[in-house]
Amino acid sequence: MNASIIRNSPHSEPKSALAGALAVFVHLFFVALLVFGLNWKDHPPEGMIVDIWTELPKPIQEPVKSQPQPKQSVPVQEPVKPKIEPQPPKPEPPKPVPQKAIAEPPVKKPDIAVKQKPEPVKEPPPDLQEQKKKEQEKVKEQERLKELEKQKELEKKKELEKKQELEKQKELEKQKELEKQKELQKQKEKEQAAQRQREQEAKAQREAEAKRAAQQAAARNQITNEISKYKAMILAKIRSRIVMPPDLPGNPVVEFSVTLLPGGDILDVRLSRSSGYVAFDSAVERAIFLSKPLPLPPDPALFNEFRNLNITVHYRE
Amino acid sequence: MNTTVTQDMSFLHLISSASLLVQLVMLILVMISLLSWWYIFRKLFVIRYEIKKTDEFEDIFWRGADMNALYQRTINSRYESGSLERIFAAGFSEFNKHPAGSDLEAVMESTRRAMRATYQREMDYLESHLSFLATVGSVSPYIGLLGTVWGIMNSFRSLSSVTQATIAHVAPGIAEALIATAMGLFAAIPAVVAYNRYASRTDQLATRFESFMEELSNVLQRRAAG
Repeated sequence: MNASIIRNSPHSEPKSALAGALAVFVHLFFVALLVFGLNWKDHPPEGMIVDIWTELPKPIQEPVKSQPQPKQSVPVQEPVKPKIEPQPPKPEPPKPVPQKAIAEPPVKKPDIAVKQKPEPVKEPPPDLQEQKKKEQEKVKEQERLKELEKQKELEKKKELEKKQELEKQKELEKQKELEKQKELQKQKEKEQAAQRQREQEAKAQREAEAKRAAQQAAARNQITNEISKYKAMILAKIRSRIVMPPDLPGNPVVEFSVTLLPGGDILDVRLSRSSGYVAFDSAVERAIFLSKPLPLPPDPALFNEFRNLNITVHYRE
Repeated sequence: MNTTVTQDMSFLHLISSASLLVQLVMLILVMISLLSWWYIFRKLFVIRYEIKKTDEFEDIFWRGADMNALYQRTINSRYESGSLERIFAAGFSEFNKHPAGSDLEAVMESTRRAMRATYQREMDYLESHLSFLATVGSVSPYIGLLGTVWGIMNSFRSLSSVTQATIAHVAPGIAEALIATAMGLFAAIPAVVAYNRYASRTDQLATRFESFMEELSNVLQRRAAG
């Protein structure tokens, strides 16, 4: 009986509730480790976005920003400067030119005046003095002559003749000198006039050049605008046909030099600078051939700009 | 169950976005893991208690305590008694049932059988749920693997409709699928460790019980002869 009592009395298992609590605790601990120990990425970045290629308008805008810039920058910067210059020069040239006209002649005039004035001032006075002296001498001589007339009439006559000749010679000399001075003055006047004419001509030329430059710049602007527009269209067309290889690191750039035929056909495509990824290079090359009639401006004169195209494609915009 | 309560939003998102089968596998694994940990702790406490009781009883018994008093004590506190006490009680009561003067060989034989029966029952009690731990240890990695394979299959199948495949398309699916494997391993590893440890402990206890049974039968035989 006693044995059956023991047999029928089950073990009272110790701390089974505690065991359950501990089991739950262990799991909570493990979950805490999982949640706080590991940095779970909520939404990993979704690799490639296909919208870039499916939408056409975007590439047209974007290539203009990114790629034609180097091409545009050369022509665009040139026209921009003339634009800015012609506008100020138009008001300015009148100012600087008169300034020059005022400034230059005074500078030159003094030179001329100095040359002119000293010459008459210096030259006439000695002449007058000489004349006076000569006259005095002549008077004295005449007096002497009058005294000596009686003695030396012949001599006087001869001397008078000589003196008259001398006077005539001197007068002739003076006349020549005056003539020379006049000629010099005339020459200088002519020179001044010539200089003025030259200056005016230079002004006119400058203005004309500026106008021409502005016109040319405007024309060039239009042309370059059109060229860049069509280059952007070409790039956009090519870009729309590229099947980008996925997951290239960084932003590789590939460059192709493309030879075109009038009408937009492609004659030759050469890889001028590889991106380093064969898949990307060949994808771009295929896209260039796929976009075959390339858009070209209607003006055939502009075709020369498109005969040899350099096409650079960036992996990411 | 508990995992979903305390989870971070991102972790919750990973699990909730998994396919139904993967979620089912995860649920099963969480239940199994909870159950196995519960058993691990239960068995830990039971085996510790058992070893403590066995030590105490052997200490008292070999100090020469009165067998009748020990028997009475075991009967009185029969719900808290250890396995060794029960074996002793079964053997002693069987020995005492035989009237004095009966065949010693037969008395000892029946006493040994009674002790052996109790010993079997006690060992069954001690080893209960250990087989469950062994099963968890061997099967739960496979369950987790099933969930993972299914999840990866799904993520690759959804990849086939995408023209430009990237690792970013597959990665979340694989990550959430791998959670199933992690759960399976989390359930399996402690279960295997606990099973091995408890199996060796119960083996030790079994040898102690068996040797005590032999010694007790010797003591009883001497007492009957003497």
